[in-house]
Amino acid sequence: MGHGPGYVEADEDMSNPLGLKAKLGLDVFKHDKEPHITIKAGMAGDQRLKKAIIVCPAGLYSENAQGEVELTIDGCLECGTCLLACGSEVLGWQYPNGGAGVQFRFG
Amino acid sequence: MSQASTFDVIVVGAGLAGLAAAYTMAREGLEVLVLERGEYPGSKNVTGGRLYLNPIRDMFPDLWAKAPLERHIAHEEVCLLDTEGAVTVRYDGAELGTQPYQSYSILRAKFDKWLGKQAERQGAMIVTKSRVDEVLFENGAVVGMRAGGEELRTNVVIAADGVLSFIAEKAGLREPFKAHDFAVGLKEIIELPRETLEARFNLQGDEGVARLYMGDVTKGKFGGGFLYTNKESISLGIVAGIEALNEAPSTIAASQMLEEFKLRPEVARLIAGGETAEYSAHVIPEGGLHAFGKFFGSGILVAGDAAGFSMNIGVTVRGMEYALASGYLAAQAVIRAKQKEDYSAAALSEYERLLKESFVMKDFENFKDSLHALENPRLFTYYPRLAGDVMRDLYEIPAGPKARIFPTIRKYFSVGELWGMGRDMWRLMKI
Amino acid sequence: MNIVVAMKQIPDLQQIRMRNRQPSLDGVPYALGLIDKNALEAGLQLKEQSGGKVILVSVGNEEVEETMKEALAAGADEAYLVLDDDLADLESSQTAVALAELIKKIDDVGVVIFGEGSGDNYSGQVGPRVAEILGLPQVGCASHIEVNGATARVTRSLENADEILEAELPMVVTVLGDINEPRIPSVTQILKAGKKPKQIFAGSDLEIGLAGRAVSTISNLAPENARKRVAVGSVDELISVLRAEGFVGR
Repeated sequence: MGHGPGYVEADEDMSNPLGLKAKLGLDVFKHDKEPHITIKAGMAGDQRLKKAIIVCPAGLYSENAQGEVELTIDGCLECGTCLLACGSEVLGWQYPNGGAGVQFRFG
Repeated sequence: MSQASTFDVIVVGAGLAGLAAAYTMAREGLEVLVLERGEYPGSKNVTGGRLYLNPIRDMFPDLWAKAPLERHIAHEEVCLLDTEGAVTVRYDGAELGTQPYQSYSILRAKFDKWLGKQAERQGAMIVTKSRVDEVLFENGAVVGMRAGGEELRTNVVIAADGVLSFIAEKAGLREPFKAHDFAVGLKEIIELPRETLEARFNLQGDEGVARLYMGDVTKGKFGGGFLYTNKESISLGIVAGIEALNEAPSTIAASQMLEEFKLRPEVARLIAGGETAEYSAHVIPEGGLHAFGKFFGSGILVAGDAAGFSMNIGVTVRGMEYALASGYLAAQAVIRAKQKEDYSAAALSEYERLLKESFVMKDFENFKDSLHALENPRLFTYYPRLAGDVMRDLYEIPAGPKARIFPTIRKYFSVGELWGMGRDMWRLMKI
Repeated sequence: MNIVVAMKQIPDLQQIRMRNRQPSLDGVPYALGLIDKNALEAGLQLKEQSGGKVILVSVGNEEVEETMKEALAAGADEAYLVLDDDLADLESSQTAVALAELIKKIDDVGVVIFGEGSGDNYSGQVGPRVAEILGLPQVGCASHIEVNGATARVTRSLENADEILEAELPMVVTVLGDINEPRIPSVTQILKAGKKPKQIFAGSDLEIGLAGRAVSTISNLAPENARKRVAVGSVDELISVLRAEGFVGR
């Protein structure tokens, strides 16, 4: 494409990317009184949950030393990707309470 | 019963479908209540992107003059990304730069908040911070819902609650989801001063550019990258099939895929000096015709993403026009149902008839096989590489003599290769 | 006996973002201050005990009417509002004059409740100043209020002591954020809130001459947080340095 005079080489602002946590820190989250997604009882070791580690855009799922999947709810973007990837047999999933959770300012 | 029983219709979700429906019905004098779980309309909504106006302009003739649109898209670009190097095609059609413009970049938090105000001005009531928990039935018909421990009764519900469509599920209108029918989009809003943005993308005034990236963005998996210019920011992101993300060859986390995309030199220089202002993610229904559930039941209609109205045909990913149009058509069906005081499934089937008559179902009919056609891994690896290789051979001047161009290029197009391309082409011809 | 609750509209602090290292108020929605919601809840609970009406008072720009809908939805019965875009940015002394004037228009006032400080600049002055202007007794840091006929008992919670005070009504009480858990209005209550009675005044309707600002803000910055540069030779040394700074092992 034709680049105008504003065309510049990548500088450190963008080549030194924000960590995922810092990126989530830019968003507005309103406190909820309970977690809106839970790993169902006895399911933390289920293979289906491993998919969430890859697909969650907020990186909220991780595997612990026992090979079980753990979920941190803070920073959830409420997209539903984990529910679609893993299914409702392993995840209890509902939206946060009214007024709680992420509030996009741009969207 | 509570005061809410005086509402003709309750709309769940203040997104484009819900607000289009609310606006249209309130304008006709119906008593409309919209329930939105976010703090304000748009607070839970994300677009890539852009809104195409042509199909919906006449449904809302009074809206567009003052709508908070960002930039009209005057330049369409496609970038084929190989692991090293890229081939970009830019289209600057005169019609793209001529009024009325075909499409605009938009930001949903702004746009939906504004559309909510327009619906309120027509008399609709919007209650925010209110999550709908249950659907209430009587004799098999939807008669209302439970929100915040309170029962709200109504004649008809429009479920415009977004892609996960819990309301349609509770009303028994859809099958359990298959991950295969959905993609996830990840997006950053990157702010740049207006002058820098316009100079960098070669834009005059309110012109904008849309650029789609294919290839190395998603590491050979189904999906791609996108870039849209807004007034003072860039919407930059990736879309990837949810099922594909967990398939071999590589299993890179979705968030990491976006980071690597941003580090590509072709992308990094476009966002250089910019400040990320927001990070968002949203699921996109891509199953099309094959994945649709029922659009109506007794006392209920389903519109927008909740009905699965979104489509990926490769060079364009569309959803918002279908949301606005289906909201409008659902409103028409409810207006007619109110005239007859009949909210049965038979009366509300009018909605499906209107959908079929409109561009909405015609598009989904025409493009019913596009997802399958696009799910060809060669589109995301082989072709971007081929384009890069051909370009390199065309332009490379070696230290020694340069080989003749035709024999050099011909090696990429052996009988076997051409056969493969023919097959791919055949598949793509279904789009 | 009526209960007056004073509430302030503030920008939703979580929605303020930094742009070019400056806070940007562009498009930031308004909200009720958090402690103000506790003040309202305290008022609603008093009403449940001793009857009367809960009447809101507030001063601010035209948006206040919309913002106060949430408080009316939560159970307040009426609102007395001064809406004037010119009065959007008053200092505490001026706000107190305007609120006192509003409160004078309300009959049979028993308790006037404020939050201990506003959610934005937390001057903590308006309640005491209103008490002074109206010549009423005032108790701050309240964690409990109980009305007994013509008097009220207020528990004042300090760091190491709970003090129980009694005063004759009418009186002014400023409450702490942990006095209660504010209720969340239902959809029906929100819908009814728009129809509750409101007395709306412009700045010129009040017979007050607002003096100019007596205090001016010179700057308002986050405290300088200089990075300490400390070299350590061992993990033990690192731990002892961190402990000295209070980061570990308290």
